[in-house]
Amino acid sequence: MKLSIKGFRGWRTRVALALAVIGPGFITANVDNDAGGIATYSVAGAQFGYSLLWTMIPITIALVIVQEMSSRMGAVTGKGLSDLIREEFGFRVTFFLMLALIVCNFGNVVAEFAGVASSMELFGVSKYIVVPLAAFVVWAIVVHGTYNSVEKIFLAASGFYIAYIASGVLAHPDWKAAALSTVTRPDSLGFRNYGYLSMVIGLVGTTIAPWMQFYLQASIVEKGVTVRQYRASRLDVIIGCLFTDVVAWFIIVACAATLHSVGKFDIETGADAAQALRPLAGDWAYVLFAAGLFNASLFAASILPISTAYVVCEGLGLESGLDKRFDEAPAFYWLYTALIVFGAGVLLIPRFPLFQVMVLSQVANGILLPFVLIPVLLLINDKELMGAHVNSRWYNVVAWITVGVMIALTLAMFIVRR
Amino acid sequence: MSLVALSELLGASVRDASGAVRGRVREIAVTPQEHPTRIAFLIVRTSDGERMLPVAAVKSAGSRVRAATDASAWERYSPSDGVLLLKRDLLDQQIIDVHGRKVVRVNDVEMESTPVNSGRGVGAPGLSHVSLNVVAVDVGARGAIRRLSKGVVPSFTLRALLEKIPPRVIPWQYVNLIEADPARRVKLKIAYEGLSKLHPADIADIVEDLPPGDREAVFETIDEEVAAETLEELDPDIKLAVVESLDRDRVADIVEEMDPDAAADLLGELNDEQTGDILKQMQPAERREVAQLLEFHEHTAAGRMTTEFLAVADTAVVDDAIEALKRFEGSREALATIYLISSVQTLVGSVPLVKIATSSPSAQLAQLSEDPVFCAPDTPQAEVAALFDKYNLITLAVVDEHGRLSGIITADDVITMLRHRD
Repeated sequence: MKLSIKGFRGWRTRVALALAVIGPGFITANVDNDAGGIATYSVAGAQFGYSLLWTMIPITIALVIVQEMSSRMGAVTGKGLSDLIREEFGFRVTFFLMLALIVCNFGNVVAEFAGVASSMELFGVSKYIVVPLAAFVVWAIVVHGTYNSVEKIFLAASGFYIAYIASGVLAHPDWKAAALSTVTRPDSLGFRNYGYLSMVIGLVGTTIAPWMQFYLQASIVEKGVTVRQYRASRLDVIIGCLFTDVVAWFIIVACAATLHSVGKFDIETGADAAQALRPLAGDWAYVLFAAGLFNASLFAASILPISTAYVVCEGLGLESGLDKRFDEAPAFYWLYTALIVFGAGVLLIPRFPLFQVMVLSQVANGILLPFVLIPVLLLINDKELMGAHVNSRWYNVVAWITVGVMIALTLAMFIVRR
Repeated sequence: MSLVALSELLGASVRDASGAVRGRVREIAVTPQEHPTRIAFLIVRTSDGERMLPVAAVKSAGSRVRAATDASAWERYSPSDGVLLLKRDLLDQQIIDVHGRKVVRVNDVEMESTPVNSGRGVGAPGLSHVSLNVVAVDVGARGAIRRLSKGVVPSFTLRALLEKIPPRVIPWQYVNLIEADPARRVKLKIAYEGLSKLHPADIADIVEDLPPGDREAVFETIDEEVAAETLEELDPDIKLAVVESLDRDRVADIVEEMDPDAAADLLGELNDEQTGDILKQMQPAERREVAQLLEFHEHTAAGRMTTEFLAVADTAVVDDAIEALKRFEGSREALATIYLISSVQTLVGSVPLVKIATSSPSAQLAQLSEDPVFCAPDTPQAEVAALFDKYNLITLAVVDEHGRLSGIITADDVITMLRHRD
C-alpha cells in the first residue's frame, strides 16, 4: 500500500503531521463527540437530569486508560489492532470479531447520517435530499483525497462544542446538585431499570467506542510514532480525553437544566434537543445545534466507513487500499460502498426514528466493547509482544474492572428486559 | 502422496504403537539447518508434558496421526531458536510473496505426505513411515474456510466442499519469512534471496507494507547495493524512519552504495548529528563526494546533480569511450551521454550513447560530438526542468564558473522533482 497522495493512509499521515501541535488525541476527542455522542448525552440529561453525571468520572478514567493502551500498543508493536488480534488469536476469533465490528460500525454509520438528517430537518430540508447528498459528499471527500483540506474545516467547526459549555452555564443549572451527582455513588435502585441500564451502557459505548480503538491505534502506526516519541504524545492523549468528557458533562448538564427541569423527558427529534441551547442562543438555538450536529456527523461519517473497511480487510488478510483499483481490492471497495449506501439508505425509510437509532447504536458500542477490550488486555500484557511496556498492576486492575462492569451491565440489561 | 493442511493436523489425536490415544498435535517443526522444507518432528501435548515425535516414527498423518513407536520413547520437548514452528511462526503471520511481489497473510499451510517404505527386500513389510514436506502457503478462501469450519464440520465433508473452491496458494519457494530477530534469521537461514532479485521499486512496495520492526529486518539482511537502490525508491517518510532505525555503520554501508546525489538528498533530511555520524563511518572517497553535494541547496541544479558522470578527453575515439563505459560505476541513467572535456578540464562536447553504439571503434569522438547543453550550479530547479523540456534532454551538464564539468542531472531526477513539487 503506497503512501500516495490519494491513499487514505497518506491522508491520515498528513492529518497527523499538519496537526503536530494538536495531535491525534485532540482529533480523537472531537470525533468521539459525534452524532451518537451528542444524541446520547442529550437524552441522558433530558431523561435522567443530573442523576447520570456520576458516570462521567469513571468513564473518563476508563477512556484515558483504554486510549493510552491503544496508543502504546501502536507505538511499541508498529502494528494495527486487527493485525495483532489476527496474529495472536488466529483466524476464527478475528473473523467473528470483524463481523461484530461491521455490524456495530454499520449502526454507527447510520447514526452519523441520522445526525446529518436530523440537523437539516431543523431547517425544513427533507432527509430525502440531504442524506443522498451527504453520502455522496463523504464518498467524494475520501476517494478523491481532498480530506486533508476539508479536515481543517471540520476541526475548526468543532469549536461549536464550546456552545454547550456556554449554554450549560447560561442555563443557570443547579451547580451544587450537578457537582454532587458527579461525585456521589449512584442509587442502586436505578440499576433495576432497563432504560437506566441501557443509558449507562450507551454512555460508556459512546465515549469508549470500539471503532475508535482500532482507528486510534492505526493512526499511531500510520504516523510512525515510536516508543521514544510516544511518551511525549501521551499527554496529548490525556488532554484529548479530558476535553471530550468535559464537553460531554456540559451537554448533559445543559439538557438537564433546560429540558429535564421543564419536564421534557423525551427527545425524539433534533428540534427537541436543540432546545438545550436556548439559554445561550435563544431562537438561534436551532442554528447552533444544527451546525454543531451537522459538522460532527459529517466529520465522523467521513472517517468511519473507510476506517472500518481498512480494519476488516487487514484483519482478514484481504487486499485493501484506495490506491488500488476496484477489481484489485473487491472486498475492500464493496464493504466501503455498502457501509455508505446502506448506512445512508436505511434512513430513507419513512418515519425512521432518527434520534432513537443514534442512541441505540451507542448501546451496541457498549455491548461490543468488552469483546474488544479483552483481546487488547491480553495483548498488552504479553511480554513477548510489548517487552518492558506491559501494563502496570493498577492499570490492569482498572481495565479489568471496566471489562467486568460492562459485561455485568449488559447481562443485567438483558435480564431486566424480560 | 496426498496433501495435508496444517490446520487439519493441528489438534489431531496421536496414537502410539499400542493404538491408544496419547495426546494431540500442538505444533509442527521444521529445522531449516538440516532441510528447508522437510518436517522434522511433531510436538505432541500428552498428559506427561510436551513430547517430540520424529516424523520418521509417524506411520500416517492426516486428521488422525498414528505413530510407530511407544509414547514412552518420545523425547521431552525443549524450545530452541533454530526451529521453525509452523503454527507460531507461519500461521496467521505475514510473509513476503516474492512471485506476486507483495506482503500476504497466511491462512493455512499445505504439506505433502509421501509414504516412505524402508523395507528390506521384496516381501518383507519393513518399517514404513511418511515424509512430510511443506509445499505451499494458502492465502485464499480455501484456507480461510477450512480454519473457520474446523471442528464444526466433519473433515470428510469439509474436504469435499473445499475442493470446489479455487485455491490461492503460494509455492514455498516464493515465500520469504519475516523474522525481526537477527539471531533467529541466521539460524532459520532467512536471507531474502528471492526478495533481493526483485526490482528495487517492487522491493520498496513490499517494504512499505511491513511494520517498522520487519522493515528493519529486511534492510539489515539484504545486500547493500540492493538496499541502496530500494531505499531510493521508498516513500520519504518511511525512508527516514528506516534510516533512523538502522545501525549507523549499516546505514553508512548502504549510503556508500547509493548515487551521491541520492545519498546527499537522504542525509540532507536527517539532523546534523545523524548526518555527521553516518559520514564518519563512510569510506573517504564516497564521503567526500556526498559531503560536497550536501553543501548545495536542494532546489538548484547543484542540489539535484550527481558527480558520477562519464567524461573522456576530446581527443579520444569511440573505443576509448567504450572502455570508459565498461569501467563506469555510476547509474545507468548517467550513461546516456558521454561528455567530452578539454585538456584544461572544460566541457567541450557531448556524445549520445546511441552514436557510440552505432559508430566504428576508431571514429573520433570530437567528430560525433554535439554542442553540450549545460547550466550553472545555482540554476533553480524549475529552469532545469524547462531546459530538459526545451532541448529534449536525457542528461544535463552542470558547469562551474570556469567551464568545468561539476556534475550531471539525469531525466529520472527531473521527473521525481516535478512530481514532488505539488
